[in-house]
Amino acid sequence: MASLELVNLSKTFGQVKVLHNLDLTVKEGEFLALVGPSGCGKSTLLRIIAGLDDASDGLVVMDGDDVSELSPRERNVAMVFQSYALYPHMTVEENIGFNLRISGLSKAEIASRVEEAAQTLDLTELLKRKPSQLSGGQRQRVAMGRALVRNPDAFLFDEPLSNLDAKLRVQMREEIKRLHKKVRTTSVYVTHDQIEAMTLADRIVIMKDGRIQQIGSPTELYREPNNAFVAGFIGSPAMNFLPGRLLFEGDDRFAVLTDGTRLAVTDERAGEIANNAAIQVGLRPEHLRVAAQGDGDHANRLAGTLDLIEPTGAQNHLKVSVCDQLLTVVDSQLVSLDIDQPVTLSIDPNQVYVFAAA
Amino acid sequence: MAKTATSAFKKSSNWVVQAILIFGVLVTIFPFVWVALMGTHSRSDIFSSPPPFYVGDRLMENYAKLLEIMPFWTVLGNSLFVSVLGTLGAVLFCSMCAYGFFAFDFRGKNIIFGIMVASMMVPPVLTLIPFFLTVKFLGILDTHFALWFPGVANAFGIFLIRQYMVTSITRDLLDAAKVDGASELRIYWSVVLPLIKPALATLAIVMFIGLWNNFLAPLIVISSPDKYVLTLALRSVQSLANSPWGAVMLGTFLSMVPLLLAFVFFSKQMMAGLTAGAVKG
Ligand SMILES: Nc1ncnc2c1ncn2[C@@H]1O[C@H](COP(=O)(O)OP(=O)(O)OP(=O)(O)O)[C@@H](O)[C@H]1O
Ligand SMILES: [Mg+2]
Repeated sequence: MASLELVNLSKTFGQVKVLHNLDLTVKEGEFLALVGPSGCGKSTLLRIIAGLDDASDGLVVMDGDDVSELSPRERNVAMVFQSYALYPHMTVEENIGFNLRISGLSKAEIASRVEEAAQTLDLTELLKRKPSQLSGGQRQRVAMGRALVRNPDAFLFDEPLSNLDAKLRVQMREEIKRLHKKVRTTSVYVTHDQIEAMTLADRIVIMKDGRIQQIGSPTELYREPNNAFVAGFIGSPAMNFLPGRLLFEGDDRFAVLTDGTRLAVTDERAGEIANNAAIQVGLRPEHLRVAAQGDGDHANRLAGTLDLIEPTGAQNHLKVSVCDQLLTVVDSQLVSLDIDQPVTLSIDPNQVYVFAAA
Repeated sequence: MAKTATSAFKKSSNWVVQAILIFGVLVTIFPFVWVALMGTHSRSDIFSSPPPFYVGDRLMENYAKLLEIMPFWTVLGNSLFVSVLGTLGAVLFCSMCAYGFFAFDFRGKNIIFGIMVASMMVPPVLTLIPFFLTVKFLGILDTHFALWFPGVANAFGIFLIRQYMVTSITRDLLDAAKVDGASELRIYWSVVLPLIKPALATLAIVMFIGLWNNFLAPLIVISSPDKYVLTLALRSVQSLANSPWGAVMLGTFLSMVPLLLAFVFFSKQMMAGLTAGAVKG
C-alpha cells in the first residue's frame, strides 16, 4: 500500500493539451473516484499513474518517492481495464498468475496465491477455462483477480464495469466495495457514472476538459458544489438550471428569474457574486416540492404548469414548465395532479443554488 | 412445397459445385500423378505413344540411375537445410519486426513501413544482379548462408504479420502485460507470439515453398555441385544429352514429398489457429 500524489501534472498530445496542471493527493488506503464526461482525460491520467504514458510535465509521487521515470513494472500498481484485456490464449489460472510467474515465484507459491484470489472472487470453478468461455461478469472478476493476486501498492480501475448490464454492474459494484474494505489498497477508480463514484468512493474528483473542478467526499460534492458543472454532474435526476439575475435588497439576496419570480437565497450560497450579475439558479429535483397550504411563509414559491408525470414506483418524476423550461421534480408524496394544470412549487432558501453564469 | 423445391435446387446446385470442385482437383493433381508414374518407367517407355498411364516396373532402376547422376540425398539435405533455416529465421525475425511496427511509436515509422511495403512491388528479377553483387561483396558466394539468410526479414512477412497483429491484438492487451510487469521481450514471447500463430503458420508455408522452389538465387550463388539444392541439381542433369528422364522424374517426385508433408503439418496448425480465433468472443 502506498499514498499517491500528482504534482502539477500536464499532458500534451501534439498541439492539444489534455491535462492541465493537475494536483492531487490520494491517501494511503483511500478509494478515490475520478469522474467526468467522455474525453476529459480520465484514462490518460490513469495511464500516466500506471506508467504506460509519460507526463509532459509534472511528477507522479508514490510514498514520497518520485516514480515518474519508472516503468509500470517498477511501480507495482495493478490496473483493471475497461476491456478487461485478459490474455485470450491463457486459462483463468494462467491469466491470474501471469504476474507472479514473471516475478519468478515458485510454482507452489503461485498456485496457492492464485487459489486464494480465486476464492475471494468466487472463480475456483473456472480456473481451467479460457476467457472466451466466460461470461462478461466472470471475465470482469478474472480481471480483478489478476490485479488482486499481486498485492500491489495501488489499484487503478478504468471504467471496469461499463461493459456489464445494469444489474450485474450493481452487483460488481458491491463486490468491489467489499473487496476494498477487506484489502484496503489505495485505489483510483475512473468512471463516468456518478452513482458508481458516489457509492464506492471515499472522495471524488470531478474533471472536465483536463481540469479538476472539485475534490471532495460524495456528500460535500452534493451539498456544496463549486460550480454549475459539478452541481449538474452529481445527483440523480440531475439538477435543474434556470437563468436569472442576483438581486441585493438591503441584507437580503434574491435570485430573480426571467418571469420576475423572486427566490430568496442565503448569503453562503450567494457567495461572492455581485449585485445584478447574471446567474444560473440551480434547483435539485428532490428539493422541489409541490406546494401545499401548510408551507411556511419563508419558503420560496415558483408557479408553473404540470407537463408530464413519470411514475417510477416509489416516486413520481414530474416535469413542470417554469419560465419556458422543464424542471424535474421528485414527488415522493405521489400527490394526484392533472396534466396541464398550474402547480406551485416550493423550495427552501437553503437549497437554492446560484452560480455565476458562464 | 416451396421448401422442398428450394432444397432440391440446393441439392442439385451442391452437386454442380462438387462436380466443378472435383474437376479442379483432378486437373491440379494430374501433373503430380503423371510425374510419379513416369518415375517408374524407362526413358523409352516414357516417349512411347500412347504414353504409359500406369505404374511401370523400372522404379529401382531409375532410383539407381538417380543416385548415379547426382548425390540425391545430399542435395535433398541441402534443400532441407536452406528451407528450414530460412523458414525459422523468417518466422522469428519477421514477427519481431512486425511487433516493432505494431507496438512502438518512433519517428518515421509510417514512412519506413510505406517504403517497405512499396519495395514488395519491385519485380524480384530486377534485384538479381544487386543481390549477386552484394553476396559477392560480403564474400559469401557459394555458401548456403547466402540462400537462406537474406530472406529472414522480408517485407512480405513483416507486412503480413503486422496486419494480422492489428486485427488480433489490442493495445490494452499489451498495456495489461506491461502493468503485469512483463518486459518487451516477454510480451513478444508470451503474449504476442501465441496469438499470431495462424499468421506465423501462413508465413512459414509461404517461406518454405518459396525457399524450396527457389531456382534463380541458387543458380547465381552456388557453384560447387556438393552444395547444390534440388532445383539446381535436377536442372543440371537435364542439360545432358540423353537425359535419363525416368530418374529425373523420380527425383522430381521425391523432391515434392517434403513440401507436401510441410503443408499437411502447417495447414493443420493454421486451421487450429483460425478456428480458435473465430470462437474467441
Ligand atoms: N494517443 C493520443 N493521441 C492524441 N490524443 C489523444 C490520445 N489519447 C487520448 N487523446 C485525447 O485526449 C483526450 C482525453 O482522452 P481520454 O481517453 O483520457 O478520455 P477519457 O476521459 O478516458 O474518456 P472516456 O470516458 O471516453 O474513456 C481526448 O480528447 C482524446 O482525444
Ligand atoms: Mg477512458
